[in-house]
Amino acid sequence: MIRAINILVLILVLAPVVVVMWMSLTPTAMFVLPVTQISLRWYREALSYPGFVDAFVLSAKLATLAAAVTIALCFSAVYGIVRYRPRGAAALRGFFTAPLLVSAVVFGIAMLQFVNRFGLYNDFAGLLLAHVVLVVPFAIRSLEATVRAVPEELEWAAMILGRSRLGTLLRVTLPLCARGLVTAFLFCFLLSFSEVTTTIFMTGPGLQTLPVRIYTYMSDRIDPTVAAVSALVVLVSLAVLLLLNLLGGLRRLTSQ
Amino acid sequence: MRDRSVRAPWLFAAPLLLVMALGFLWPLLQALANSLHPNTPQGIDAAQWTLDNYARLADPFYGGILLRTLRISLAVTAITALLAYPVALFLARLSPRAQSLLILAYVSPWLVNTVVKALGWTLLLRTSGVVNTVLRQLDIVAAPLKLMLNETGVVIALIPGHFIFVLLPLWAAVSSLDPALTWAAGTLGARPSAVFWRVILPITLPAFVAGLVINFIMNMTAFAIPMFLGGARNMVASMLAYQVNLVSLDWPLGGALAVALLALTLGLVWAGQRAATLLVAGRGLRP
Repeated sequence: MIRAINILVLILVLAPVVVVMWMSLTPTAMFVLPVTQISLRWYREALSYPGFVDAFVLSAKLATLAAAVTIALCFSAVYGIVRYRPRGAAALRGFFTAPLLVSAVVFGIAMLQFVNRFGLYNDFAGLLLAHVVLVVPFAIRSLEATVRAVPEELEWAAMILGRSRLGTLLRVTLPLCARGLVTAFLFCFLLSFSEVTTTIFMTGPGLQTLPVRIYTYMSDRIDPTVAAVSALVVLVSLAVLLLLNLLGGLRRLTSQ
Repeated sequence: MRDRSVRAPWLFAAPLLLVMALGFLWPLLQALANSLHPNTPQGIDAAQWTLDNYARLADPFYGGILLRTLRISLAVTAITALLAYPVALFLARLSPRAQSLLILAYVSPWLVNTVVKALGWTLLLRTSGVVNTVLRQLDIVAAPLKLMLNETGVVIALIPGHFIFVLLPLWAAVSSLDPALTWAAGTLGARPSAVFWRVILPITLPAFVAGLVINFIMNMTAFAIPMFLGGARNMVASMLAYQVNLVSLDWPLGGALAVALLALTLGLVWAGQRAATLLVAGRGLRP
């Protein structure tokens, strides 16, 4: 019974992704079930459709930058909180993780009205700001564990031997955190790369990330080309995810 | 070491504080401010203050949309609640290796964007979709079932979409249970069902309720799934928000909608935590 429920839920969770992958291999122009012969022609089609290629480049650029900026900002903040334990540390942590309590729709509306006021509608800078804010809570949580795992004694030793606080941070703490920084970066990249709702509210036709481009394409028609590009998105996400899992990051990120 | 500098931690946190103030606080306050001004054909009239936008949300048309959103979200959360314990208990009994493999299987679809999953569900549930084709090939149904472009379709697709928000905290709580507890209950003659109701449930209830609250909030504000699986005829709150903000460009009303949704969300989080605390306290007092 308990086993059957587990299998049922697992099927429900995996079904939509598996079906997209499977249907993207259909050789015909319309979906004819069952798909018995496979073909990669719609992948060629998708990769030669400029709308998808441009959107992919934008998404990759945005996710990379958002993750890098977030990690830099959050590592600095977490280091300050963990090593100095200032009064108000709890409040700081609460503020930095607060975006978790604000749903993507509410934040999207707020961001839309904000970027319009400053003439940043359809602007990369506005999009970057929004994506950074959205992934900060996840980066804070995972980096906090990373910095805590570095023995403070090693930093003391470096400082006793004459390194400055900043020198110690850069030459001792940062290298010791390398693995944690990489996993946090990959996780932030994935979150930004798959963000849909807030981005839809903030951008018009001129600046579409890949998920938003797929969304507008799907509103028009559903064909094997959009299945193929979606399957490519799944493959990219899966590749990053497996890398994350290999580095041991997923277990720590999910057990919080 | 610690008293050397009071300012140092704030210097380390300053860049992030600045970005969060600019990119998080300011936009929310901007929407709040916009919601308190009247909308005119020339745009927002910032000189006047009003609560009219909130009164407009009480319109029966909006009320119907809110009711549908609540109905769908409650259905999804209720079904999730029924499924979560069996899955979490099953996972916790497996070997660590099998556990991390299955958790990976549950988590990875969450990191694929919701538009792709909406496409998957459309290919599965539409009239000529996989499910209907299989059912007809096996002669289980004569005519295709209407599985999407209605509330059923939205509920089916949202259940797995937000399942991990309950599963992950619950799994963590269940697997950190001291095995001695259930063992002790067993040696004292408690049947497995009693062990669950009297030992496992009370201890893991806070994590369970916290997960359910998050799950409910995610259901209330889901966008792509209701859009494609429900369609324009089954409008929910997030689609209304899109309509008001990006089609009618009525930002004061859109701002009011955002503030109302946010207030509802935060109220629920607070109530959920409170309920969990009370429930545990109540159970603990039992002889």
